[in-house]
This record gives sequence, C-alpha cells and structure tokens, in this order.
Amino acid sequence: MAEERVGLATEGAATAAPSTAKGSGLDLIELTKVFPGGTVAVEDFNLHVDHGEYVVLLGPSGCGKTTTLRMIGGHEFPTSGEILLDGQSLVHLPPHKRPTTTVFQHFALFPHRTVLDNVAFGLKMHGVRKQERRRQAMEALEMVGLVPLADRRPRQLSGGQQQRVALARVLVTQPKALLLDEPLGDLDRLLQLRMRVELRNLQRQLGLMFVHVTHNQEEALSMADRIVVMNDARIQQIAEPVTIATKPETELVARFMGDNNIIQGRVASREGDRLIIENGSVRASVVAPGDPRAVGDEAVVSVRAAAVELDLNRSGAGELNSADCEIVFVEFLGDLVKLHLTAEGERMLAKVPGERYPSLRGREGEKITITWKEEDVQLLGR
Amino acid sequence: MSNSSAGDGTPHLDVTEIEQAEELVEQRVPSTEHALGASESAARTGGGWITTVWAAPGFAWLGFYLIAPLVFIVLVSFWTYQVGAKSGFVADWTFSNYSELFRDSTYWNNMLSSFYRSLIAVVACLVFGFPVAYFLALKVNSLRNQIALFVFALAPFWTSYLTRSVAWTYPLMGREGGLNQVLQKIGIVNEPIEALGFSETSVTLAMIQLYVLFMITPLFFTLSQVDRTALEAARDLGGNWWRTFREVILPQTMPGVVIGSIFIFVLTMGEYGTVRVIGGNAISSVGTIVQSRVEIAVQYPQGAASAVLLVLALVLGVFVITRFSNLREDL
Repeated sequence: MAEERVGLATEGAATAAPSTAKGSGLDLIELTKVFPGGTVAVEDFNLHVDHGEYVVLLGPSGCGKTTTLRMIGGHEFPTSGEILLDGQSLVHLPPHKRPTTTVFQHFALFPHRTVLDNVAFGLKMHGVRKQERRRQAMEALEMVGLVPLADRRPRQLSGGQQQRVALARVLVTQPKALLLDEPLGDLDRLLQLRMRVELRNLQRQLGLMFVHVTHNQEEALSMADRIVVMNDARIQQIAEPVTIATKPETELVARFMGDNNIIQGRVASREGDRLIIENGSVRASVVAPGDPRAVGDEAVVSVRAAAVELDLNRSGAGELNSADCEIVFVEFLGDLVKLHLTAEGERMLAKVPGERYPSLRGREGEKITITWKEEDVQLLGR
Repeated sequence: MSNSSAGDGTPHLDVTEIEQAEELVEQRVPSTEHALGASESAARTGGGWITTVWAAPGFAWLGFYLIAPLVFIVLVSFWTYQVGAKSGFVADWTFSNYSELFRDSTYWNNMLSSFYRSLIAVVACLVFGFPVAYFLALKVNSLRNQIALFVFALAPFWTSYLTRSVAWTYPLMGREGGLNQVLQKIGIVNEPIEALGFSETSVTLAMIQLYVLFMITPLFFTLSQVDRTALEAARDLGGNWWRTFREVILPQTMPGVVIGSIFIFVLTMGEYGTVRVIGGNAISSVGTIVQSRVEIAVQYPQGAASAVLLVLALVLGVFVITRFSNLREDL
C-alpha cells in the first residue's frame, strides 16, 4: 500500500562513496566526532537521506547513533566531515538557525508553560505574531488530538500525551527534517506499539524526512524505509529492513538483530563459488562469488532462527545444511515457540509456529537435528 | 492500516487508537496526575497527628525564640520610658514612643538610606550572583564538580563574619587602605579615593561581598532544577541564547530570584555590624539607631518602637517582592 522507497545509497554503503545526489535531501559526508577525552564517537559516517524518507539509526547504546543525530541538529559539532541539507552546509550553523528540529528523548517540554505555549514556542522564536501562532499551534494540537488539553501544564499529562505535545511542538515549525531521539523510549510497551504505526503513518502523510534513533530492533524494522546499523562509532550496514533482517552483512549486525544462528567454522571444501563451512556436525553451504577464502580458512555464517526446520526423527542427520543439537529449553511465546539448542558447544535457536508447542513441550535433553536451506545461509564479514 | 478517521486529508495522528492503548496502560500505571492527586490526599488525611508531633519541637523553638521576644518588644514599645526605674521603663501604656519616632527625621532618613542601600545590594547580588549560579548549575557538567565548586564558592563563609569584615576594612579598604595604596602606586589616582574610606560605598560593597552567597545558593538550586534538554529544545526551536534565557531559564528560576532577594533585603536592611565596622561612625543605618538607643542610651521603649517599625518595613518589603513575582504559582 505504501510506496516502497529505494534509497539512493547502495546497500552496505559503509565503505561506498557518498551519493552524488547532493542537490536534494540530507547528506552526511565522512562525518567524524572525537570527544575531548579522545573517545571516538562517530567515525567516517556517510549517508544520504531523501526528503520523505524514514531512516532509522539503530545500534547498542554508546554506538554513536545519538551523537550523529545531535550533529545533524547542531547540538554537537563534528570534528571533521560535512553535513549538507539540499546542498547547503549546516556544519557551522547553531541549532536555532538549522531547518531541522528534534524530538528529544524525554520530551524536554517546558514545565512552566501550558501545552499551547509549548507548541507555540518555536513560532514565537521565529517572530510569528500572537494571534497567528495561537492559530497554528491549535492546528498542530488538532493534528495530535490534544486540543482539549491546550491549557494544561506538561506535568498534568500522561507520558503519551507529553510525547504528542513534543511532536506537535516540532511539527509546527515546519522543519525540513525531523530528528527523533528514542522518541518511543519513555512509553509503555502497548502504547509504543500503537505509536509506531501512528507515527509512521503521520510521516507518510506529511512526506517529511524523519531521522530516528533507537536501540530497539523491532521498532527499527517496523518503522524504517532504511535502517543504518551502527556499532562502535561505525556504520555496519545500511539497508532496507527486510535486508537487515534476512541478510546481515557482518557478524555484529547478525548478533545485534538477534535470533540469528551464528556458525563459526572453517572452509571444509570449495566447489566453484560454493563454500562448505564446517564446525563438527554443523555444516552449511553458501554461494559466495569472489570470496577469497581457501579450504581451511575461518568463516562465519548466519542462519535466521525462523528459517530453521526441525527434523525430530533425525533422518537428515549428517546432511549438508544441518546440525545435530540437544534441546536445552522449549520456550512458549504464544504465537511462536523458541527452541533453545546447543550444537558443538555453541548456542543455536529455532523458531517454529506456536501450534507445534504440544509436540515439543517437555523434550528438553533430547537430541534433535535441525536443517535449513542454502539460500538462508548468509556469509558474514567482520 | 491507514484508516483516517477525519477524511479531510490533513495529516494527523489517529488519536482514538492511541487513546485506547493509553487507557489500557493507565489501568496498570496510574498517570502522574492521578499519582499526584493520591499523594496530596494522603498528606491531607493520613498521619496528621504524627506530623504534628514531629513539628512540635520546631514550633516550640520558634515560639520561644521568635514569637515571644517579638511580642515582648511590641509590648515594650507601648510602655513608658522612666529614668531610674528598674530596666529603665514602667508598664504604663503610651503611644508617645511612636509619635516621637514619627517626628524624628533622622530615623526616617536612615530608614530611607538603609532601604536604598538594600536595594543596591539586592540588585548587585543578582547581577554578580546570577552568572556564578548559572555557571555552576548549567555549565559545569558533573555533579561532583558542581558540588566541589559550590563548596569552594562557600569558602568565604568558613571564616567568621567578623574576621571577614575586619579583614576587609583595615588592610583593604579605608583612606590609607591597601586598595587606595595600590591605586596610587600604579598611578591610577593621585589622591586616595575618599569613597573607599568610611563611606556609603564601602559599606554597600562590603554588604554585597558578605551576602552574595545568600543569592547564589537559592539561584544555584533553582537553576539546577532546569532540564538541560529543555534548553536544547528551546535552541532547537529557534531560540538564540538570550531568548532561551529570557523565555525558558528565567521564568523557571524566579523562585530562586525571589528567595535570594528576600534574603539579601532582610539581611542588609537590618544590618548594623557591617555598618559599624566598615562605616566607622561616619555611616548609620536603622540598625545602628536601634542599637544605640538600646545599648548606649538605654532607652528600651524607644528602641523597641524603632525596631518594630523596622520589622514592619521588612514585612512590607517581603510582601512587595513576592507580589512582584507570582512565586506562589511557581512553587
């Protein structure tokens, strides 16, 4: 139903050249931030974001995603690199002169002002007359459904309502890019799930560029047109959610996204472009054109837990793309069952539909063989 | 998925869905509003007598050391001065202490000059104290450094009041004091500056130096309450430094400004020690008048009446300060 947006930057652009389309949209070029103590927060960050695109910066805390967002907003100054919006450099502009606005993590509302005055604040700063800013602020409150609460103080509102005030407050200034720092982090889970859909919907209706920072994988997958996975100050992978989920490029992405089986082994044989990777009874094949590895070299592959099939009578034992495992724990999660396994001392995971729970419960300690298809095997880089 | 309830095509959030989710959440996590309401009513109803018992020693203390002497002073101010009587007065009701005082232009001139001095001290303490408090609360990043620097700023208070006054007076101030000598040595002035001697200026400067911490402290604590991300948000929304200060920081700091101003006003208006030490006999204040009436002339009723009027002036001043700001609403 929604138009699928294919980013201009190539997938896995960590090392690729920045997009040449510098006329329109946001460009971050070789952005680096080193803090005074010598800590490298962001290193060599390259990204192009189109107008109307929803990009999520995803990574564990301390990976540099928030620092990147703050550099776009002007709250941190890059040590080196360039930030362009529609071809115009933002690097030397203070926050109040940038056409970007931020939804801060804990909403950062002004406690001494009413909801209406909070929303009208940006307009006041831009010299809009009182009547006009009141009208526009009311419109913004209408948009987030808070008109009846216009005269309240922020502390009289629930977390979800405060979040909507924060949203109205930034949208009223009509920014060219909206920056969101963990915008759903303070909300209760149920509300978070609802807000994901609604926020994404609103962004589509507005056609506005959103750059959203989160450490929540599910949130990133559900909301983004493109996800930028970061770790340790660097970009690990830039791709659409489906690619991030099914084709992680690095071990870090595979581990961080969770529910991936990581197989660390050695190349047992090579037939043309097909590598057979082995770790004891665990054997996986992957087609990797141009991969320089020879027999005996180390290799790491991943297989999604949801792509794993159970072979309860172990007819496929010893085959290619299978592993002999022991069941450690059967975890029932309603719609699905997670089977926690070990193979060759490594933890493995299988996810199967919840209906299969009756046939699996209580089978901890038993031997089982799991299988998967070659196309579900992903060769990982470092 | 995009079941836009308002079909006018303007972008909006589907609020009904959000509010349904929020309602479910509320059942488990009461909103701040509910929580506040609950704690308020608990404070109003529950444990009333326990609170009373806890507060009793405090009230007794206040009663014995504040209310009782005050009542006594008011009584004495309406009694009659009599030479030779035990402690110099008899308990005969009279209004003459006040009527004399109302005609006493020296007293009123001193009241006025004390008020004027206090006003300057309040403004000066605000002007000098605010940047210090602002720096401590909003520019120093770790709580540890904040506390360390704050304690350091309090260091002058570790020495006693008198030591500081004296240290200020003789080596530094005065016609032949250090400051004047230095200024003459480096050739800025040829003659000693009289204002640095026993003068109004010296007294005011000394008071500012002695009391500025009573301004810095409340300002520091209110500024510390200001949410720093809210300041970033203000800048983000287009506020430059000054607008952010004016629109976001200052309104939230008003309680500190008011409390600091009350401190400085009350402390300086009733001052007599600093005036005596720094001003010598050249400068007087309402405080020194009360002191000389009581200690030198031993005219308790007259002294009491001048003290009562001073207290009334202080109360009036505090009332005006709180009126000027909407402190009650902010607190």
